Amino acid sequence: MPRRKPAERRPQRRKDVRHGEPGDAFRCVGCRLDVPVTAPGTAHRNHCPNCLTSRHVDHRVPGDRRAACRGRMAPVSVTVRDDGEWLIIHHCQSCGGLSANRIAGDDNALALVRIAMRPLSDDRLRVGALLSL
Amino acid sequence: MSGKEYPRVSTHKTRQVLTDTFTCVRCGLTVTGAAPGGGRRNHCPSCLHSLHVLDRAEGGPSECGSRMAPISIAVLRGGDWMLIHRCTRCGELTSNPISGDDNQLILMRMAVRPLAEPPFPLETFGDL
Repeated sequence: MPRRKPAERRPQRRKDVRHGEPGDAFRCVGCRLDVPVTAPGTAHRNHCPNCLTSRHVDHRVPGDRRAACRGRMAPVSVTVRDDGEWLIIHHCQSCGGLSANRIAGDDNALALVRIAMRPLSDDRLRVGALLSL
Repeated sequence: MSGKEYPRVSTHKTRQVLTDTFTCVRCGLTVTGAAPGGGRRNHCPSCLHSLHVLDRAEGGPSECGSRMAPISIAVLRGGDWMLIHRCTRCGELTSNPISGDDNQLILMRMAVRPLAEPPFPLETFGDL
């Protein structure tokens, strides 16, 4: 299948912040999968490609590692940038913080579509949209 | 009065809560501050835009004060629906509960938009 976005893409910014934990892998707090940091399609992987769970380590700037929370962040929704890139919105289970991260090339497609379909699978939105026409 | 406590209109403070309004920064609609469910409203029901007045990361009032655009609908584990806003100036994310009179067409558009531009072919999910 041909790519849907053949346009030239801006290269991602280099990380200029110091990360607290050196290493080339992290373990997912949700499913205990060992995940390598290098990912196809993104330079800023912060979630597990299998269950999409992340961890609350960044405070305000992505990569600053200044959050004291360290809670589990569950994926709650999917949004789209203007250029068509998908972002996952994570919601911290212990402090309620939110963060957004671009999806990687090896993320679980079924899990992504399940999150994207969650508001549509409820009758409230469908009925409400039809009634407001 | 049994069960739910209704606010008395006699005091100055409750009257202010019941009658205060704000003007939407994007579409200019004058919106009442009280939502139909009884809670407080913080986004325009017509265009769903909000204003960055609360700092979520640090707590307290925010210095930014610019417009926040709705980007997606989140369904939490308890079944609550939240509207995710992103500040157009500083990029901070906030979540607010959806009220009953929010524009259903814009909500539907935000829910459908990821599926309209999928990064992978959705045809394979028909087999599952």
